[in-house]
Amino acid sequence: MVMRMTVKIALAGNPNCGKTTLFNGLTGSNQFVGNWPGVTVEKKEGKLRGNHDVTVVDLPGIYSLSPYTLEEVVARNFLINESPDAIINIVDGTNIERNLYLSTQLIELGIPVIIAVNMMDLVNKNGDKISMEKLSAALGCEVVEISALKGTGIQQAADRAVAAAGKKVRPVVHKFDTEVEKAITSVSAMLKDVPEEQKRFFAVKLLEQDSRIREHMSSLPDVSREIGHLEEIFEDDTESIITNERYVYIASIIKDCVVKNKKRTVTTSDRIDKVVTNRWLALPIFALVMFLIYYVSVTTVGGFLTDWTNDVLFGEIIPPAVENLLESMGCADWLQGLILDGIVAGVGAVLGFVPQMLVLFIFLAFLESCGYMARVAFIMDRIFRKFGLSGKSFIPILIGTGCGVPGIMASRTIENDRDRKMTIMTTTFIPCGAKLPIIALIAGAFFNHSGAVAWGAWMIGIAAIVSSGIILKKTKMFAGDPAPFVMELPAYHMPAAGAVLRSMWERGWSFIKKAGTIILLSTIVLWFFMSFGWIEDSFSMLEADQLDSSILAKIGGAAAWIFTPLGWTQAGEGWKMAVAVVTGLIAKENVVATFGMLFGFAEVAEDGIEVWGSLAAVMTPVAAFGFLAFNLLCAPCFAAMGAIKREMNHIGWFWFAIGYQTLLAYVTAMCIYQLGTFFTGGGFGVGTVVAVLLVIGFLYLLFRPYQATDSLNMDGGRLAKAVK
Amino acid sequence: MPLTLLKEGEPASVRKVGGKEDIRQFLAKLGFVTGASVTVVSATEGNLIVNVKDSRIAIGKDMACRIIV
Repeated sequence: MVMRMTVKIALAGNPNCGKTTLFNGLTGSNQFVGNWPGVTVEKKEGKLRGNHDVTVVDLPGIYSLSPYTLEEVVARNFLINESPDAIINIVDGTNIERNLYLSTQLIELGIPVIIAVNMMDLVNKNGDKISMEKLSAALGCEVVEISALKGTGIQQAADRAVAAAGKKVRPVVHKFDTEVEKAITSVSAMLKDVPEEQKRFFAVKLLEQDSRIREHMSSLPDVSREIGHLEEIFEDDTESIITNERYVYIASIIKDCVVKNKKRTVTTSDRIDKVVTNRWLALPIFALVMFLIYYVSVTTVGGFLTDWTNDVLFGEIIPPAVENLLESMGCADWLQGLILDGIVAGVGAVLGFVPQMLVLFIFLAFLESCGYMARVAFIMDRIFRKFGLSGKSFIPILIGTGCGVPGIMASRTIENDRDRKMTIMTTTFIPCGAKLPIIALIAGAFFNHSGAVAWGAWMIGIAAIVSSGIILKKTKMFAGDPAPFVMELPAYHMPAAGAVLRSMWERGWSFIKKAGTIILLSTIVLWFFMSFGWIEDSFSMLEADQLDSSILAKIGGAAAWIFTPLGWTQAGEGWKMAVAVVTGLIAKENVVATFGMLFGFAEVAEDGIEVWGSLAAVMTPVAAFGFLAFNLLCAPCFAAMGAIKREMNHIGWFWFAIGYQTLLAYVTAMCIYQLGTFFTGGGFGVGTVVAVLLVIGFLYLLFRPYQATDSLNMDGGRLAKAVK
Repeated sequence: MPLTLLKEGEPASVRKVGGKEDIRQFLAKLGFVTGASVTVVSATEGNLIVNVKDSRIAIGKDMACRIIV
């Protein structure tokens, strides 16, 4: 039997140094790389191209092995517990001093380290020189030059790593101050059950009083004497002493190995930043960029493509073709109904948005990978911080004005757990493209096309985000300031076309997949409920005008009482509102189409002009505005709910988000109806009292003092999660 | 003086990083340690873009004022 040797190689490095690009290059995988820190949160595994016995693990980008962020915990636990056979440490050559800080820690782990110096083309362009031989000697490990983007040198790096795997590790060559070294030696001597090559790592961690290292150690020696001694000499805490020692050592290496071009002072990135983050120009430039993006993706190119998909592809081409096919096969009527009215109409309505979204995704991927998005977060931070969200929350909400699904997905870049959850919960409050038809319907039917309705809808959305930000921040769950804003800004670069297209496709595909699964299923169920029912005590398929007898009508009728306090049930037609709300969950633009069907018009224009009269007869304008507010704020469509579930990655949080949204929607709609009715002379009743109490309760939540927090942890929420 | 008061484009070196332990450590990992040279690229109401150890860091006012140069 031939033993196949399997080798595991870990890729470690600072955020945004090209790890994921290298990973893709080595494994032929296609993970999208955004040009901002923190893209990889979980580790990813792949097989080395051309040698499938070698597993490559892409670890999250980290600045150190101290467990302050979830990324660092993930990376450190992997490196210690699963001890890979070798580590390829990617080092950004343009920023070598900061990057080597992590390298000095990785070298102490007792695992062979290959240092791959990336972005050498940029280093050369800047006129700097890095001597690989000297660097290798100074660090005591192999150093190779690579360009992850172009793929040069990466095979060599992998070969060296495979060759080094499992070999005996060279002893650590870097040395700190003599006193510090003495302490490390004396602590190392106490570590009886730690393998020789890992002793330095654990000794340093014990001296740093790393609270989480005890999880990895069977016995904890008492090192308080050494710590006390060091702190006395250096007049600082041990963790700072060691951090400092690392930088001192790195500075001594840099002096020997790196020759800096003295003339270079201001880089191109600096020059661009001077303009785009300028106090006065930042916001106008940003507004212009966003306007252009939305103009192109919603009104011109994207709008054209979407209209074509909706009106031609899913209007004139596919339905008649499917109908002919089914006719020619002699298909049963009910099956034809299911396929045409249910599946083709329902799934088609959703797929119609795909072209528009793809155009939008191209732009957003471009902004992300060129480096501008990171600046936008910085620009918006000073505004968003005022109501408890960080600048990084702005991007999802902005994208949410087009469609909530990519908006929610964009929240992934927010590294603070609390801030990210809050952003996910509030992103869909902003009216997305699919909610516009509902706004048009209500404005037309009740308010004489007043533009104030659209304005009001936006204001409701923004007010919901701001007040939710404030209210949630004051609960125990979300207490604490938004994480202090610190973000590394990557250098601007022209993104590779392939990467942008790949990101577009990846996001677009997840949307299409959703249309093919959950939306497909729900349209079938809805069609069934709408098309079958009891006529004269016998269960049968219904004619188009017998909708009142459908299962859907029964369910809607049973649920209609819920909406009585909202004033939707006055004329005994409340079930239609209930049904419209439910179909709105499949896709918000369904609300208008549902009214069309329920009030007996087969086809309605986008603004539902045909049903205005019927609607106005069953609801007061105040109730209608409440209905609009409810639809804007309540649980978003299934596609967006799916995105919430995926990004929350926790079923409890998913239900909390949906519950919060729906509760807020209900309370808002009720207060609008009850108080609106009272102020328009509709009399005073129990409902008015309840509404007043709710408003008082809301104001209390909004203005009560902030809860004290036990820590201002950088990443309190995530750490807590990681500990569990 | 705190970093927030440093003039744009004027190089300075970090004297001390204050604040809580975890925040200090976080800043240290990004390169804000005693002796590191820093340059403010752009400043907006105390929020800064700073060059430190050859990398560009955006940093909020509340953190920037804890870095003494």
